[in-house]
Amino acid sequence: MDTTPAIELNALVKVFAKRNQRAIRAVDGLSFQVPKGSIFGLLGPNGAGKTTIIRILTTLLTPSAGEARVMGYDVVQNPLAVRRQICVVLQENAIELHLSVQNSFRVFGRFHGLSRDEIQRRADRVSELFGLSEYLNEKGMDLSGGLKRRVQVAKTFLIDKPVVFLDEATTGMDTFNKRATIQAIKEESLKGRTIVLTTHVLDEAEVLCDSIAIMNHGKLVAQGSVDSVKAYGLRMMSLSMSLATVSPSTLDLIQTYQPIRIDVKNTTLDVTVKDDTAALAILAAVRQQTEVRHFEITTASLEDVFVQLLDKKVSAT
Amino acid sequence: MREIMAVVYREYLVRITGLTWMFFDLAVPLLYLLMFGVAFDRALGQGMNVGGQAISYNAFFLAGVLSMTCFGNALNTSYGFFIDRDNGILFEFLTYPITRGQFLLGKILFQCVMTVLQSMLTISVSALLLGVSVPWHLIPFVLAAMIVGTAAWFFFLSIFAFLIRRNDTFNMVINVLYFVLMFLSSVFYPLDKVPTWLRTVAMANPLSWHADFLRFLTLGVGDLHSILMEAAGFLLFLFASFWIAIRALQKTL
Repeated sequence: MDTTPAIELNALVKVFAKRNQRAIRAVDGLSFQVPKGSIFGLLGPNGAGKTTIIRILTTLLTPSAGEARVMGYDVVQNPLAVRRQICVVLQENAIELHLSVQNSFRVFGRFHGLSRDEIQRRADRVSELFGLSEYLNEKGMDLSGGLKRRVQVAKTFLIDKPVVFLDEATTGMDTFNKRATIQAIKEESLKGRTIVLTTHVLDEAEVLCDSIAIMNHGKLVAQGSVDSVKAYGLRMMSLSMSLATVSPSTLDLIQTYQPIRIDVKNTTLDVTVKDDTAALAILAAVRQQTEVRHFEITTASLEDVFVQLLDKKVSAT
Repeated sequence: MREIMAVVYREYLVRITGLTWMFFDLAVPLLYLLMFGVAFDRALGQGMNVGGQAISYNAFFLAGVLSMTCFGNALNTSYGFFIDRDNGILFEFLTYPITRGQFLLGKILFQCVMTVLQSMLTISVSALLLGVSVPWHLIPFVLAAMIVGTAAWFFFLSIFAFLIRRNDTFNMVINVLYFVLMFLSSVFYPLDKVPTWLRTVAMANPLSWHADFLRFLTLGVGDLHSILMEAAGFLLFLFASFWIAIRALQKTL
C-alpha cells in the first residue's frame, strides 16, 4: 500500500530578504504531512505565512531551507512533476481579461492535456455547478469580482489532478456559490483528491476540513483534526444568554470570571470561558442580577479556540 | 510540444479578439517603409553607395524595416507579461504543467507566425510598389532570420518585463532602449561614413548584426566573414537572452 503523503513539509523555511530592509521569516521551520484524499485547512491571521506555503507547494516560490514534497515529488528538484499533480486557485483574482469564459475553460483544459470534446463536456458540467452557463460568452473583463472568482474556482474542477490548492477560494462569493463550492470540494475529496485550502472563514474550515493547521508568524501553533485542535482549548465553553436588560454592572460582573471573549448584541451576550464551571458560575451570578430569558451552553467554536491560541501565542503541537 | 501548442492556442485566442491590433501589427512595418523610406529615398535623390554598390534608399531600408519588425513584435509580446501579471493570470500559468522555457517558447511562436506574415507583406510591397529587386530564392532564409530575430529580442525584452515591476518604468526603459538601439545601429543608415565612435558602438549592437545579415540576404552587400561573425554573435545573444529570461521569470514571482 502506498503510504506517501500527498503533502510533506520538513523544517521548511522561507525568508524574504530585500536590500536595506530587515529580512522577513515568512515560514519558520514548518513540518507537517497531509494524507492523500483528505481536506486540509491552513488557518492563521493575515501575514501568518499561509500563502507563502501555498506558493512554495505550487512551485511559484523556492524555499530558503528545508524541503517540501507534493505526491512524493520535491518542489525544488522536480517542479514540473509537482505541477503535473496539482491545480491551483491563487489568492489573486486570476482571469483572462480578453477571453470569454468558454475560451478560458478551453485554454485551461488544453494546458492540462484534455481533448476538445472532453473540455466541452466538463465545461458544461462545471458551468452548471457554478452557475456560469449564462456567462459563457462574456469576456473576463466584463465579469464582476464574484463571477471572476467563480470562473477561477470552476476551472479547477474541470480537471482531475490529485491535489487541489484553494487559497481563499470563496472570497467574494455569495452564499449560494459558497455552498456550491463547499459541496464540490467535499465531492472531489470523496473521489480521492487531496484538497489544501486556506481560509479566514473558520466556520467553513470547521465544516469542510478533516484536519487543520493553525499558523502564526510562520510557525505552527496547532495541528490535527478539527476536534483535536478544538481540544487544545481544553474545556472551553461558549455561554449564550438572552437577558431582560444588559447593564454595565452585568458586564463588570462577567469580567470578574476572566472570560476569553464577550460579544454583546442588544440583550444577547455570547461569552466564551475556560471551562463549564465558569460558564455555570456566570449564569448563576447573572441570574441574581437580571432575568435570564434564554441560555445555551455549548463547546467553544473553532474560532474561539483560534483566537485563544493566537492570543496566547502558545505552541500546542 | 503539446504544452507549447497550448500557449500558442492561448495567444491565438487572445489576439483574434483584437482584430484592429492585428491589422496594425501587419501594417506598421509597411507604413514605415512607405512613409519614412520613400521620403528619404526622394531626399537622397541619386540613391546611395553601400559596399561599392549603388542602391536606392528603399532597397537599403528594407532590411532595416524587417529588423524593426522583429524588435517591435518582440516588444508587444513582452509587454503582454505586464497585462498577464496585473490580471494575476501569469502566476496561474506558472502553476500549469509546463516548463518556464516551454512557456516562453509558446509565447513567441505565435508572434513568429505574425512576423512571417508581416515580412512577406513588406517584402512583396517593396518589390511591387517601390521597385526593390528581391532575391526570391533567398526569402526562406530571410524568414528564418526574422523568426530568430523576433525570438531573440523577445527573450531580451522579457528580461526587463520580468525584472521591472512598474509599468511606467518599463515603458521608460524600453523607450530609451528603442531609441539607443535603433539609432546606434545600421538600421537607418550605412555605417561606413559615420564617426568612428558611433560606428564602434553600432557594431556592438545586436540590432546591427541582425540588420546586416538581412541586408546581406536581400541586397548581397557586406563581407561574408563579417556577416557570419555577426550571425554567430546574434545566435549567442539569442541563447543568452533565453537563459537569462527563464531565470528572470522565476525571479518575478
